[in-house]
Amino acid sequence: MTGSLLYTNLNIYLFVAVFLLGAGILGVIYRRTLVGMLVSLELIMNGAGLNLVAINSLLVGDNAYGFVFTLFIMGLAAAEAAVALGIIILIFRRYGHIEGAELAELKELKD
Amino acid sequence: MNFAELVFIAIICFTAGGALLAVLARSIIHAMLGLVATMFGIAGLYIYLNAPFIAMMQILIYVGAVTILIAFAIMLAGPISKRPREWTTRGKFAGALGVSVVSTFIIYFFLRAAFTVSGQRSEITTAEIGRVFFDKLILPFELISLLIVVSIIGAIMLALLSKGQK
Repeated sequence: MTGSLLYTNLNIYLFVAVFLLGAGILGVIYRRTLVGMLVSLELIMNGAGLNLVAINSLLVGDNAYGFVFTLFIMGLAAAEAAVALGIIILIFRRYGHIEGAELAELKELKD
Repeated sequence: MNFAELVFIAIICFTAGGALLAVLARSIIHAMLGLVATMFGIAGLYIYLNAPFIAMMQILIYVGAVTILIAFAIMLAGPISKRPREWTTRGKFAGALGVSVVSTFIIYFFLRAAFTVSGQRSEITTAEIGRVFFDKLILPFELISLLIVVSIIGAIMLALLSKGQK
């Protein structure tokens, strides 16, 4: 809280990151389609990355681990989005819709 | 209040508005555009934190790759007119809002209690980031690349080689 300028105040960054987390949780819970849930998950990951970079830049100062882990988060997000795209296409092909709440069966029923 | 702080406030408002649009928009395309706005806003915040390399990676990876993947998911999952409404019932919305607000406040107060100081922005260059990558964290770096290859192969297997309509 000693920063004289607004953008050297850590709490503002933490608040933005927590706002992104809250918006992401809200979206994951109440969106109906899988794509909407994926968008909200990306919001949560962005909030985590912003936290890491802000804390590393404003508190630590002499190493770069927070930056590096933010880059790891970006790589993980890209991998996750690729897998989610495959799963969404598969679910759409099998069920004809991508509504999250309707996907109750995991396995093909033998009849 | 100087000009940089005004731009900072504008970037924060842009980020927050994009996040709200991404969560609350009726159309999924509008939600995706809100996500793009949020990504650009966070890239601006990274520049304010003296991390221009992270900001460029944010724009390249999130706006350039992840959002395009989401756009493909939107386009490949059938016509939008046949899609169910994004809004669920009012009670579920109230419940979701309650959960997110409560968890947000809890986490924010923990964070606030844990870090109460803030000082100067550090002067970490891209060369130091690369040095941490290749000196200290070389194994996780290689494992991330392996993970991305495996996930791409898995996505192709799921999308191409699976059985079609039930």
